[in-house]
Amino acid sequence: MKLHICHLYPDLLNLYGDRGNLLVLYRRARWRGIAVEITGVSLGDPLDPKLYDLFFLGGGPDQEQGVAAGDLLTKGPWLREAVEEGAAVLAICGGYQLVGRYYRTAGGDILPGLGLLPVYTEAGNSRLKGNIAVRSPCLDDPRPVVGFENHGGRTFIEAEGSGEPLGYVVFGFGNNGSDGTEGCICGKVIGTYLHGPLLAKNPHLADYVLSLALKRRYRGVVLPPLEDELEWKANEAFLRRFGRGVGERENKKGVTLARSAAG
Amino acid sequence: MMFKLILCSLAVFLGRLAALLCRLAGREATSLPGYIALKVYPGLLGQLARGLSPVIIVTGTNGKTTTSNLLARLLAAQGRQVVSNGEGANMPAGVATALLKGARGKGHGPAAVLEVDEGSLGIVLRQVSAHLVVVTNLLRDQLDRYHELDQLASSIKGALAQVPEARLLLNADDPLVASLGGDGREVIYYSLERTPLSRTRPADVLEGHLCPSCRVPLAYTYYHYGHLGSYRCPHCGWARPEGAFRGEDFHREEDGFSLDFVFNDGRIRLTSPLPGVYNAYNVLAAGSAGMLLGVEPSVIREVVKDFRPGRGRVEGFRLAGKEGVLVLVKNPVGMAEALRTVAGNRPAAYVVAINDLAADGRDVSWLWDVDLEPLLKSPYARIICSGLRAWDMAVCLKYSGVSLEALRVIPDLEAALREAVEEPVDYLIILSTYTNLALCRRLLKGMGAQSEAAYMPPVSRPA
Ligand SMILES: [Zn+2]
Repeated sequence: MKLHICHLYPDLLNLYGDRGNLLVLYRRARWRGIAVEITGVSLGDPLDPKLYDLFFLGGGPDQEQGVAAGDLLTKGPWLREAVEEGAAVLAICGGYQLVGRYYRTAGGDILPGLGLLPVYTEAGNSRLKGNIAVRSPCLDDPRPVVGFENHGGRTFIEAEGSGEPLGYVVFGFGNNGSDGTEGCICGKVIGTYLHGPLLAKNPHLADYVLSLALKRRYRGVVLPPLEDELEWKANEAFLRRFGRGVGERENKKGVTLARSAAG
Repeated sequence: MMFKLILCSLAVFLGRLAALLCRLAGREATSLPGYIALKVYPGLLGQLARGLSPVIIVTGTNGKTTTSNLLARLLAAQGRQVVSNGEGANMPAGVATALLKGARGKGHGPAAVLEVDEGSLGIVLRQVSAHLVVVTNLLRDQLDRYHELDQLASSIKGALAQVPEARLLLNADDPLVASLGGDGREVIYYSLERTPLSRTRPADVLEGHLCPSCRVPLAYTYYHYGHLGSYRCPHCGWARPEGAFRGEDFHREEDGFSLDFVFNDGRIRLTSPLPGVYNAYNVLAAGSAGMLLGVEPSVIREVVKDFRPGRGRVEGFRLAGKEGVLVLVKNPVGMAEALRTVAGNRPAAYVVAINDLAADGRDVSWLWDVDLEPLLKSPYARIICSGLRAWDMAVCLKYSGVSLEALRVIPDLEAALREAVEEPVDYLIILSTYTNLALCRRLLKGMGAQSEAAYMPPVSRPA
């Protein structure tokens, strides 16, 4: 088995430990005997839509993100084709905004996005930043997804679209700080504001992304459980520290589960 | 006017009283007196700085403390009286504390070398008319405090506009810093030429490597670290400015480094006991500023030869017959450089103490941007993760490829240090974020550690 991952703009969109997400996917695949090839694709590079199972798009500083956004639109048709043929996408922070329909600046300008997710983003006047935990109905494991968010944009899921929130905020801001949603999932395209990096302390989500990506080429793949004690301890410690007891109950259950699965 | 004068005197009095009380209580006062005085009279900085000449401000994300300490030492060696906030207390309260200690009212007073936090530069320059501003670099640091480097660069530009008469001394190798020049005033650059450690590809995570005018990625002929190096814009041709002061022929020595310090009508060989390329930049920045202020090259050579910063950065100690180092880490580039410096080829026990309080940066995702290769390649016997974010560090190390047998998580710092001392190796490496650092020192002292003045980096010993 081999997983092909495309890292979009690794030289521009690399804020906040984003490369950690790729490292987590890489290791979790390798530990299960799955080969992984990660290819960086940046400004002006062509993109073969048939080749990749997963596209990863991180966040960057405003200027770098602007440069990437312009180039990304030229790659739009290839990316849409890849998604139609079953590739998965994980887009974080600035990347999440770029795969939405548009970004409306403070001055009212509309910057078009790829439209892979039925969401739009509006500039806000303060940054939404801090530790965040969400509950994701997509995951079988009920333990919260935890991370850090730091974004000025307010993102909204279109009411009539086919997108669902990736999760519901337990504490933190989420998409816009007002409607309690965080991120968006539509088919195999996932966008979220959580970095930290996202997948490190959330092995359930990491494996979910991994299985979405593997599905393109290998149907019915079941990922055997891994020894995730450290990861869950980190998730637990986070909730204990910032959640004031939120999720403690599930987490205790979770650690027992993880232990019995590993043992 | 009268009222202001009274307030100002009251502020000075209360500030000095607080400093005295702190000393009597056996505590070091690096910020509290200034904090109190500024509360009483917010315009105090300007008043206190009035009697000082010249006033030199050192700012930038990394290297401020070492650069300003060395510069103060250079001026003192040249016979100047110097006021400086050498303890790294670089917010307005720390600057005020230093000035309270040094300023003696009217007349031609001493020189001031002030390290100022990048985020506080605007506040300080609004009141203090600096003669020379040194900007060391703008590397990614505590992004939840300052958001982004471009924003930081433009806020520094705005702050500098308040002192149009001040000369600027800029690091030419940092495109973001270099772009601060060009507003018509006198700008002097310093740079470091290619070294045996230079790379043709970036090793650290990049940022700030776009041309400031065209927004296209800059092309580098080599990198020192981070985005520091020799660059040119392929679109408009904007390139690294010519350094009036240059470091050439850099060599890593058994103990520190040596380089040729080149200036318009001469060159001298400098040797420094400080480890790492980042200290070459600190020496270049301080040496260049010293030259601009009339310090003799021979004085620079003598002072640099023996200069070791007191506290902070790399501190050596001996404990239970073992050699140890304590290093402050605060961002990916700094931590990677620290690892390159201290991770040798001797088996070592590590304690990595990571906190996420405001002064550390609330967002710990930067841990994943650290180039851990020097650690992974070194013969680590044990790595103990500690602090409020011990588990985050451990997960990061696990995925980076550290063997799980060597990894321990002990969030309590004292227990972690005690465990490390028990390891059957004779070299301890303690990496700590800011808010754990003082506690580390205190605990180590309590355990019987003797601080080692002559710290020898253990890099070049045979295995
Ligand atoms: Zn250009």
